[in-house]
Order: sequence, then structure tokens, then C-alpha cells
Amino acid sequence: MASIANAGTMRRGGSRNWALSAMLAVIVVVVNLPIITMVINSFKTTDQILAGNDLLPRTLTFANYHYITERTPFWTYFANSFLVAIGATLLSIFAAALAGYALSRFAYPLIRGYSSILLMVQMFPLILALIPLFILFRNLGLVNTRLSVILLYSVVNLPFATWMFRAYFDAIPRELEEAAMIDGATRLQAFFRVVLRLSGPGVAAVTIFSFLFNYNEYLIASIFLRDDAKMTIPVGIQMFMQQYQTDWGSLMAAATLAMLPAFVFFLLVQRYMVYGAVAGAVKG
Amino acid sequence: MSTQATALERYRGQPAAKRPGHDPLPYSLLLPSLLLIGLINVYPFIVGFLYSLKDGSLLKQGDFVGLANYFQLPAMSDFRHALLFSAIFAICNVAGSYAIGLGLALLLNQEMPGRGFYRVALLLPWIIPSIVSIVSWRWMIADQNGLINQALDLVGVGPIFFLGSERWAIFSVIMIKIWRSFPFMMISCLAALQSIDRDLYEAAHIDGAGRWQTFRDITLPQIAGISVVLWILMTIWSVNDFETPWLLTQGGPSNSTENLIILAYKYTFTRNDVGTGSAIAFVSLIILMVLAWMLLRRQARSEV
Repeated sequence: MASIANAGTMRRGGSRNWALSAMLAVIVVVVNLPIITMVINSFKTTDQILAGNDLLPRTLTFANYHYITERTPFWTYFANSFLVAIGATLLSIFAAALAGYALSRFAYPLIRGYSSILLMVQMFPLILALIPLFILFRNLGLVNTRLSVILLYSVVNLPFATWMFRAYFDAIPRELEEAAMIDGATRLQAFFRVVLRLSGPGVAAVTIFSFLFNYNEYLIASIFLRDDAKMTIPVGIQMFMQQYQTDWGSLMAAATLAMLPAFVFFLLVQRYMVYGAVAGAVKG
Repeated sequence: MSTQATALERYRGQPAAKRPGHDPLPYSLLLPSLLLIGLINVYPFIVGFLYSLKDGSLLKQGDFVGLANYFQLPAMSDFRHALLFSAIFAICNVAGSYAIGLGLALLLNQEMPGRGFYRVALLLPWIIPSIVSIVSWRWMIADQNGLINQALDLVGVGPIFFLGSERWAIFSVIMIKIWRSFPFMMISCLAALQSIDRDLYEAAHIDGAGRWQTFRDITLPQIAGISVVLWILMTIWSVNDFETPWLLTQGGPSNSTENLIILAYKYTFTRNDVGTGSAIAFVSLIILMVLAWMLLRRQARSEV
């Protein structure tokens, strides 16, 4: 069992660090093996994949990528995913920033109680919301519209987005907005011009986290988006997996492309990961 | 938006002192969130409960049947199985992801070349879309040609039909869920480890405590509080998980990997029995509420 106790001595004894580093390199490869093989296989033909002789292909082929571009509505799914994710992110960021500010600056009992409501939202089983909402949205003609999914996603994002905003706003001194208010700004103006501007990195982190969740979500989208023209990537790939179970090449190319945006956005916020994961969970 | 504008108007010219309850601005700040929660959570909660008291379908309301939908559940073998599977799934996932997450956090907590890269690379299973992880794993465990069966073939074992038999399907779903969950445990445990006062370790070192002793008497008690919170959170997420079992097996073979959420989904959307589906969804809500209540109590205690 390792402990920090030895961190000081280990910095001097460099050889053990390299051993540990090598061990972690192996762990990283083993853990990510499914992802690595998926990416490699996406550049093989399905026959090569099934023959399975070499892990690394002798020749790279883009045939799978051509196929999903020419023969499947993959890029439509892609665009839908972005539209839905961006819409839901904007809506939840707007609502969560205001609520996070209320939680940060006004310690009234009712406002504090709102944090408990958020915890309830956090653990509310989605399926329970989906049954009545499917019937309601169908009667309102909202099934197969992006709006239905955007509304649901924005609420799923609310708890952690609000908690993160509150944590960021807590770190900004109240004196700054009070100074702005003495200069004649209203509190809302002070919030938008001073507090929100100073929490720029925080706003960016919350935005990208929300986007990541929205982009990755499957269950809600599968119930409300039933037309090829409206489906998001997870729903589209699931359909594809059902229909062409054995076309591994195309499936892996589609999954690899689907992973890329999540991967890029994750790299942008990975420094805030601890914050996002733990802040809401632990502080409540 | 208009409500905020009026709240803003009202706020103008008021004295700076904030009298709790009389200033409408803080409450109007919550308004957009509350409207969304009202539509997406409160409305389904009330209407869903009414559905669970009726024998309706997706197309017609149905008649009021009282609590009959609930009373039938204990006698249904698929419900009992789903309850059991939800419990096994949650327990195995919490234990597995915590053990792996804590182990990796302890390794990552030490100085080494490339530590930042490893920390990021080990988070990947958590951040990729569920459908991507399922596609990649399906190939790993695919019959005959999959990577795991090729490896097993080298040592003369197998092939194992992971998604063909009930036991192996349950094993596979749990394994993939642990794979998708451990990074969260790892990053949270790492944060907890880094917040431990280093003086404690210095003191233990001076007192001549060994590594295991230090771990048991300092590290573990120091991260116990957050660990309990993490276990409860992960239990909630496991009970609530639909995507991992559904995308991998759709609940099969037969109904071996059906949890409560999948069962409620199937009753509602494939068997068109909204009453039973809603009742099952409410049972899962009650289970989750108990877990959330434990979480709140725990948090209240750790804040003191």
C-alpha cells in the first residue's frame, strides 16, 4: 500500500518513481484497451477485424468512414447531437447561474431549502419522469422535436451546474458587487457585469460539463427522438448496432467519431473534474 | 424573463439592508429553475402516481384500480428478479469501483514522471458516451473473435459466450459498469487524499509506523467520511442506471440483466402497461429516496 509519507524521500530515490510510472503506463493501456482496439479496428475492414490475426493493421483503410458518411445518416445524427446539447446547455446554464447566485448570496431558509430540492432532482429516477412526459409531450405534439429533449436535459443538468456555480460565486468577494452597486448598478447588473465576468473559467467549466452530459445521453433521446432526421448519435448508433450486428468496421468507425467531441471537450475541463465531481456531491 | 424584470424594478430604491423574506429578488432568481423542475419533475411525480393507480396504456387513461398495481408486484417473478439484480449490480459496482478507484488514487497520489497524463488517461472510461463504451466492450467480449476470447484461446481456455449465458451476461454487465464507474471514485478519492494534513504522516513516520499501519490508522480514517458519501452516491447511480445493461444486453438473455429501471421501461413502452410500469418506477423512487435521505444525514453530520 502506498502513502504520501514517502513522497519526500521518493523524490530523491528517482528509480522507484520510474518503476511506478512504468506500472501506471501499463495500467493505463490495459484499462483503455477497449477504446484503443476500437480506434484501431475502425481502420480495418470488417473481414480483417474478424480474422483477428494482427492487432495492428498492415494497411490503414478509411473504407468504414466512407461507408458511414455515404450510406448512413451519421452526420445528421452528429448535427442533431450538437443542436440538442447546445440548446440544453444554454438553458441549464442560464437557470443554474441565477439559482447558484441566489444560493451563494442569500442565506434565507427557503433558499437553503432549494439545495435539498436539487438533491431530490439529482436522484429522481428518469424513468418516472419519462412515462408521464411521453404521454404529455405526445398530446402536445412535442415527440420527435428537439425541444422535448432539451427541456429534460436542462433539468438533469441543474443540480450539479447550480452547485458548481455556487462554489465559484462563493469565492468572489461580495465587496466587488457592493462597490458596483454603490456606483449605481442594480444587483442583477452587478451580478452579470462583475460576478459572472470574474467567474469566467468556472462558467466555461460548467458549460462544458453540461455539454458533455447532454452529448452522451441515450435514454431520454431514445424515447423522444424516433425519426432518423431527429436522432442523436447515441440513438443512431444503437439503431445501427441492432440492424448490422456483424458490421464491426462501420460500427467502430461511428463510435470512434462519436467519441471525438467528448474527448476534446473533456481535455478542456479535465482540470476541473475533481471540482465538478466532488463539489456538488459532498457539499450538497 | 418578464418576472425578473419586474423583480428588478421592485428592487430599485430599496435600502441596502437585506430583510430575509421581503426581498423578492433572491426568489425570482430561482424562478427559471423552479419552472423547469415543475414541468420535468413535479408534474410527472403527481401524474405518474395517478397512473400507477390506474390500469391504463399509452393510448388510454384506464380505470382506477387502487393499489392493485403495487400489490401484484411481490408475486411477479420478473419484479423479484429485477429487485435482486438491482441490488447485486449496485453492491458489486460500489465495491469494485471503490476498490479500484482507491487503489489507483493511492498510486496517483505519489510523485512520479507523467502523473498528470496518467490521471487524465484513467478518466477516459468515465467521460466517453455510454454507447461508445458498449460498442468497444461488445467487441472485446464478442463470441469467438473478440479480444478476450482470442486471449483465452492462447492459454487454451474458452471460448466463453459472454452475452449468451445468463451468468456471464450478469458478470459482463457488472464488469463494464465498474469500468465506467471507477474513474469517478479514483478522482474523488484522490481529492480526499490530497486534503489530508501532511503533518499526520510526518508524525506517524517519526513514531516509526510502517506503511500498512500508516494507511490503516491515518489514511483510512481520514477519508472515511467522504468514502461513505461516495458509496451512497454510487449506489444511487447504480440503481438508476439504464444505459449500461440496456445497451449491452437489453435485459437478456431471458431477463437475467433486467434491473428495476429496465423493467419499468419494458412494461411501459413495449408491453404498453403504464400502470405496472409506473408502479415499478415508484418503487425505485422510494428506494432512491431512502438512499438520498441517508446521504443527507451523512452530509449534515460531516458538516458539523
